[in-house]
Amino acid sequence: MAKTIIRFDHATFGFSDVIALQDISLDITEGEFVGVIGPNGSGKTTLCRAVLGLMQPMGGSLQIFDCACEELRCHHRARIGYLPQKGALDRNFPITVLETVMMGRYGALGLFNRPSKRDRDIALEALSHVGMEDRLDSALGHLSGGQQQRVFIARALAQQPDVLLLDEPTTGIDITTQHSVLDLIRHLHRDLKLTILLITHDINMIRSSVDRLVLLKTRLYAAGPPEEVLRPDVLRQVYGKDLVITEKDLILVEDYHHHH
Amino acid sequence: MFEMLAYDFMQRSLLAAATVGAVCSVIGVFVVLRGLAFIGAGTAHAAFAGVALAYLVGLPPLPLAIVFGLATVWVTGVMEEQGRMKLDVSIGILYTATMALAILFIGLMKGYNAEVYGYLFGSVLSVTPDELRVILVLSMVVLGVLLTFSKELYFIAFDQEMAEASGVPARRIFYLLLTLVALTVVVSLKTVGAILVFAMILIPASTAYQLTHSLSHMTAYAVVIGVACAVGGVLLSYGWDLPSGPAIVLLATTIFFLSVLLSPKRRRRVQTA
Ligand SMILES: Nc1ncnc2c1ncn2[C@@H]1O[C@H](COP(=O)(O)OP(=O)(O)OP(=O)(O)O)[C@@H](O)[C@H]1O
Ligand SMILES: [Mg+2]
Repeated sequence: MAKTIIRFDHATFGFSDVIALQDISLDITEGEFVGVIGPNGSGKTTLCRAVLGLMQPMGGSLQIFDCACEELRCHHRARIGYLPQKGALDRNFPITVLETVMMGRYGALGLFNRPSKRDRDIALEALSHVGMEDRLDSALGHLSGGQQQRVFIARALAQQPDVLLLDEPTTGIDITTQHSVLDLIRHLHRDLKLTILLITHDINMIRSSVDRLVLLKTRLYAAGPPEEVLRPDVLRQVYGKDLVITEKDLILVEDYHHHH
Repeated sequence: MFEMLAYDFMQRSLLAAATVGAVCSVIGVFVVLRGLAFIGAGTAHAAFAGVALAYLVGLPPLPLAIVFGLATVWVTGVMEEQGRMKLDVSIGILYTATMALAILFIGLMKGYNAEVYGYLFGSVLSVTPDELRVILVLSMVVLGVLLTFSKELYFIAFDQEMAEASGVPARRIFYLLLTLVALTVVVSLKTVGAILVFAMILIPASTAYQLTHSLSHMTAYAVVIGVACAVGGVLLSYGWDLPSGPAIVLLATTIFFLSVLLSPKRRRRVQTA
């Protein structure tokens, strides 16, 4: 029986005026690959930030590595790699690709240690995983959005994490890179036994790779193998539209009529 | 030209200027990158209010300047974290309030006190051996701490939430940075003055910002520019009998505008446009 490393127990998270996640109970076991889906504003990013201990539970509890999330320490966080949802980046910020990825090492290094050659090698390897090894000294601000995304994935990998939280990793990158990013994630899961929490709107892309899908809309509507979650009666509660699910695709009924 | 270096006071002022130039430009890199520019200005005025109070009640100026400076940066830090109000508004209020306090304290003094105005406008040529010692010690402390925590400071300047998420004690580092800003301002008060210290923090760093795409290069450039302007300013000030603070700052400003004209970042933008 695999060990539970993230446990939501009737946990509620929110901001001063909104509840973003309500009464969530969910166990994620070591080495699991979990996909998180749900419409905009359904609390997916909040789920990530909660796991990182960046939010206090308003009710219930959340344990990560047997530690309450509000007491998560730096050395715990260093074991969680995080790719934030794409936000605005100051294109003029003077930082190179390699400097960005090296930041992934800082948490694990601790306060008084300088990065060594070994840390540099880890960063270089992470960059080669995402195919950016020939852009080490490029200014981050001069890369395209998708290339920046790859650099940030490399930074998360450079942490050599046990758990990887990926908030829409394939949004805004080209189709070839999307597939290579997904291949990379599958490899990290299968060969390096990382626990992966992947948020996406692209259900078709991940449905064959994940062990479990979690369907959110403030509350947890479903959590289980993809074939159990991707059923019209389940999805309708959350997306409010009828969805047709074929062998490979998942199509909104409206669009379906439109195109056929 | 070089005979002036034989004077003790000249050696002292050059050493004080170079030290202040170095410490201001290094802290300036983090201030500029973390978007704390306004905090520097607010702190300078608060520290000056501390100095004015000290002269009013007859206490040593430095400790009170430190207390006032620290109180201001910490209050500002809390305001930023809570994010209730736009930071420029809250700092604007603090900044004018501390300036009002300073004017009040000066108004309460009997007669004209030239020393107080020395802190407002800067008078590096009159730095005493004791003051120089304090400047050197405090600067070494600030630079040492900056060097020790440089990787964390760079990370929070780039993305504080990401730093926190990946296991850097980002909040504590942020308050450390604010504390160092306050100490730097106090160290520089006598040399460049409360009005101009802000420029010494901002200009070398933003000049370096124009010139490079790398964090480590930016810091190196900023130090070279900061020290060169401070020393050059003192020499100009002595040679042409100018007030030292404005000489340093105007020299730095000139170099800043040159860097904007010559910036590789700017050129690239023009090419791609
Ligand atoms: N910083 C914040 N302050 C206040 N409310 C917030 C904040 N961040 C998110 N929320 C609210 O929390 C809820 C969940 O937001 P969250 O970002 O987790 O959604 P999401 O599922 O990631 O959406 P998306 O698919 O658009 O990324 C939303 O109602 C949002 O308005
Ligand atoms: Mg989101």
